[in-house]
Parts: sequence; C-alpha cells; structure tokens
Amino acid sequence: MNNCKPCGGAIPLCMVDEFDLPADIIDRKVTKMKMISPSNREVDVGKTLSETEYIGMCRREVLDDYLRTRAKKHGATVLNGLFMRMEQATADGPYTVHFNSYKDGGKVGKPETLEVDAVIGADGANSRVAKEIDAGEYDYAIAFQERIRIPEDKMDYYKDLAEMYVGDDVSPDFYGWVFPKYDHVAVGTGTVINKTGIKQYQQATRDRSKVKTEGGKIIRVEAHPIPEHPRPRRCKGRVALVGDAAGYVTKCSGEGIYFAAKSGRMAAEAIVEGSVKGTRMVGERNLRTYLDKFDRKYWATYKVLDILQKVFYRSNPAREAFVEMCESDYVQKMTFDSYLYKTVVPGNPLDDVRLLVQTVGSLLRGNALRQGANSLPEAASSGRRCLSAAAKAADDPSLGCPVEYIDLRGTSIDQPAVCKYTGNKYYSDDWQAH
Amino acid sequence: MQRAQLPQHLQRHQKRSDECRRLKQAARSRAPKRPERRGGKERGRTGGRDASAVAKNVVLGAADTSQKVLQLEDGRFVDYRWTDGRWDLSKFASAGGKMDWDAWNKVIDAEMARRKILEESPIPSTNEEPVFFDTAEIPWWAWVRRFHLPEAEKLNGRAAMVGYFLAYFVDQLTGFGLADQQNSFLGKLALHVVVFAVLIFRTSSTIPMYKNLLDEATFYDRQWAATWDGQARPSETEKP
Repeated sequence: MNNCKPCGGAIPLCMVDEFDLPADIIDRKVTKMKMISPSNREVDVGKTLSETEYIGMCRREVLDDYLRTRAKKHGATVLNGLFMRMEQATADGPYTVHFNSYKDGGKVGKPETLEVDAVIGADGANSRVAKEIDAGEYDYAIAFQERIRIPEDKMDYYKDLAEMYVGDDVSPDFYGWVFPKYDHVAVGTGTVINKTGIKQYQQATRDRSKVKTEGGKIIRVEAHPIPEHPRPRRCKGRVALVGDAAGYVTKCSGEGIYFAAKSGRMAAEAIVEGSVKGTRMVGERNLRTYLDKFDRKYWATYKVLDILQKVFYRSNPAREAFVEMCESDYVQKMTFDSYLYKTVVPGNPLDDVRLLVQTVGSLLRGNALRQGANSLPEAASSGRRCLSAAAKAADDPSLGCPVEYIDLRGTSIDQPAVCKYTGNKYYSDDWQAH
Repeated sequence: MQRAQLPQHLQRHQKRSDECRRLKQAARSRAPKRPERRGGKERGRTGGRDASAVAKNVVLGAADTSQKVLQLEDGRFVDYRWTDGRWDLSKFASAGGKMDWDAWNKVIDAEMARRKILEESPIPSTNEEPVFFDTAEIPWWAWVRRFHLPEAEKLNGRAAMVGYFLAYFVDQLTGFGLADQQNSFLGKLALHVVVFAVLIFRTSSTIPMYKNLLDEATFYDRQWAATWDGQARPSETEKP
C-alpha cells in the first residue's frame, strides 16, 4: 500500500466535485498549457478557462491514501497484502482469494486466504485478477518519465503551466510532456509502436525542453505501461475489472485517473444495487450492468479522442495542423469543456462547420508544405546528416532513430563527432580555415 | 649557357619575345588556380558553378546576420527574413511593397525549408524566441495556385487525352460522334462513372487503402464491444 505510483497525476475538475476531494490534495492548479509543434510553433491553451477552472496536479500517494482512509472510516476493512491468486471451489460458490499479508510488517508477507462473494479487480495495468479470469491482453503504450528538480527561476515558469511537445522525434504516436509537480517537473514521453526506441524519444524530449530545464537534477526515473484499449473480457462470473486493469485509458491524452475512480464507484454501486444492500447474492448480470452503464456514459469521449489521435498524431504535418487548430478559441473551449466535465458537448452547428473547414485547411496546408519540401536542395550544411541504415526513418516511423544533422565544425580525425543515436563517428577537414 | 648576341636587325624580336615571356609569367602568377577560374575552390564547399549570393549564403554561411539564409546556428534558426518568431512579410514583398504571387511563393518556399530543416534536426524551444508563424497568413489563392492548379492541370490533361482517343475509337467503331455518344442516358452515366472512379481510385493501391481505413475506423468500437460477445447489453434487453 505504500508504493509510489508512476503517474502524471492530472485530475479533472469533475473528479474533485464528484469525489469530494479536499483542496489540500491538489499540489498545483494548472491553468495554462503550451502545445509545441515539431517546428517549435507554440500555442498557449487555456485563455478560455474561467477563474474557477483548472487541471489539478496531485501526488498519487497522497490521493490514494486519502481515498483509502476515507473508505476505512466508512466501514471498509483495509488489508495490506499482495494478491497472489484466487479460485472458486464450486460454480456458484464463494471465491477464495489467496494473498500475502503484510499486516505484521516485514519484507516477506504471510500467505492468507479470504472467502468473498464478489471481486473487483483494480490492480492496474499488470492486473493479476485479469489473468485469473482470462480477461485477455491489450495493446499498451510504454510511458517513460524522469522527474527533474530544476532551479527556482525555471520552476517559476512552470508554476501553473504544463507543456506538450509533439513531433516524430519526440514520439511517433504520442506526445512528450513537461508537467509541474509540487517541487519538481516531470519530463516524459511514450509510444506504442516503437517501445525499444523509448530512450531516444526521451532524449529528444529532453533536448527540446533543454533550455527551459537547464541545470536540473534527475531525482527519479520511472516507466509504466498504459493500456490502449479495454481488455476483451472485463467481467466473468462475479469478478469485474475497473480502471487500468480493465484498460480504461483514453487515447490522445492518455488520461485514466478519473475513469478508474468512476468505474470503481460504478462497480460498487452495481453490487450494492444488485445485492439489495447485502440481502441477496449478486450475479454476473448485476456486474454487467456497471459495464453497460460505463460504456454508454463515456463511449463518446473515448471515440472522439480516438479519432483525434488517428487524425492528428499521424505525421508531422498533421501535428503542425493540430497545433495550429488549437489556436482557435472555439477548439480550446470545446476541449476544456469535455476534459474538465467529461461530457462531449455538441456546440453550435455553424461553428462546427467552420471548425471542420479550418481543420481540413490546416491539414492540407501542412501536408502541402511537407510534400513540396522533398524537392528542395539541402540547406545549411556545415554539418553532415547521420545516415546509418537504422536512422533512415523517412517512410516507416517505427524503424530506427531520427535523422540527425551533426555539426562538424571543430572535429578532426582524432576528435570526431558522435551521433547520439547510433554511435557513428563523423569528422571533416573542410571547416578549417585555409 | 650564354646566348650569343643576335645580329642587330634581329635584336628587336629578342626584346619583344623577352617582353612577352615576362608578361606571361606575371599573368600566370596572378591568375588563380584552375578550380577558382570557374568559381570553385580547391578544398571545401562551394556554392556551385555561377552560384548566386543567396545560394552561397545557404551553403557557406554569411558573415553578417543581415544575409543569413536558412541556417541553424547554436541551436537557433537564423534567417534574415525571420524575426520575432515569424516570417517578416516585408522582406519578401515585390517592388512597391506589394505581396503578390511571387512574394507569397517565396514565403511558402521559406516555410517549407524551415520545417524540413527542423524536422531533420530539431532544436530546443525557448521562451526568448517563441515561434508564432501561422500558415493561415498565406492567402488561400496562393495555396491553390501553387499546389492545386498544377495537379489539376495534369489530371485534366490526362483525362482529355484519354477521352479524345476513346471518343475517336468509339466513333470509328459505331459511327456515333462525340455529341451523339453523350446524348443517351447510358452515355452520360458512363461518363460520370468513369470520371468519378478515376478521381476516387487513383492508383491500384487505393482500394486496399480504403478497406484499411474502414477497418481502422471501426477497430476501436470492436475492441470496446468485445466484452459483450454473445451477450446482450442490459440496456437493450430490459425495458425501462
């Protein structure tokens, strides 16, 4: 119960309201976000937020502990243990849960068992409960994050600002971020299709934010899987999955805290209702009611974010168009309304049509600029392009590392410049004055 | 060996040939080495034969900021037309400060080159030099003229060539002229079908591409519905 979860820690406004979270849970109120395109075009997002609207940044250990303590106060029994396996002796009988109890402290838990009527699996992306019920696998992204403590003046810039970097160098299908935490920043990135290249993407994210996080000390490095879609089977018998274990993480933004909490609450409510406050045994049908309710309520949110990811994270021109679109007030208002309150609000149809036209225009312009560029001569070469076979990422974004320009001024055969992705060495004599 | 003195009537020629030899030697020592004669250099990069000042700037780098073109220096993008995070349109303007087609064309070229350079070598984003340039500043007609019109010309040209020969052959085979071929409903229908099919299915790889897009569009829905395999949702079975 005392592990520190590697998590972005951003919670929407509706979570604070719905779960009655106290104000001191939230370390920082982020009210501005900066989106930075591959060519460093930056757009400030957040001018449509009202005085009382914000994105809350919290520490997971603080939030989790608060919720746990509150549940205990309302009568829940809290056991500190590690779930090992479970079995069901008879088809309709109780479930026997085997776990290692850490009740007495110490490093090694004591094996214990518990007989229960229903199980809600909330043990995260690598859920063991999911394995027990053969829930199936999902595609997942690997998210990598470094927590960096930066000097005060630089931290001041991130006081209520989060940054999002998009680009092929930063991630082929996700984004790199700089999120402020209570006294440090978290710089990270993620990817689904090229997990082995995550270190390069992290380096590229650090490079892009290099000037703003200069002089920082890395205090922690963490990585975790993020599910991309729900597991094929989220409920079997009287066992249901919620949160990351079920795979309730949105695309495009990778948000999961609110959906985890809400699905947990919905599952519990379904059990309470199905068992008529503990007088009758629940059945699978009752747990499936929770699944149905969750699907119907949040399906639109998930689908819209899926479409956004498919359209705007496709290629660099699409990302440039994405950042351009975020400049418009209408887009910002729609985005924040749907993020903070978790409802897809259909806006004014005329504005929607104008938005569609603008989107198509941006995408066309971005792609036109990219296409025409293939016929341009090479420019500004006091350097050399690193062209090892693995680095040629022109058509297949899942291969190799970004193509890089290496400055050869100051190099000689004894002191070559080294490509930071492939280790190839380059030098030149041409830069020396004759 | 001492040359024998020439007879006096020939000494005139001697002087002239000496003079010539001296002049030739002087000229040879003044003249640059071979590559330089054609605008090149023995070692190092050049702008190319008859390179313009702009091309030389691009390749060799200019001495002062006022002439730098599309350079990446010290992790910053430097160009004499790029100020305050956007392209200064006045630097592209044609005579009289007008932003006409040529000027916008140059802006499009410059932005294309900038994005290409930054895609190949990303630079850090700084607070001191934020980038604001919006491609919507370039008017719609410049985009159309630069990108759409050449493509439209090519496609229309192809259509005209193929259409002409097909009409000729159909005329030869059936005796129906161009106007008669399109008079019937079937003729009009065939014409429309062919034109739209050619626009929609451009290459042979387009059909699998559309199929892939359709799969992609519905894939997420199917992943979400997987848990309901073989079971009806409560909301569908229970009457409210």
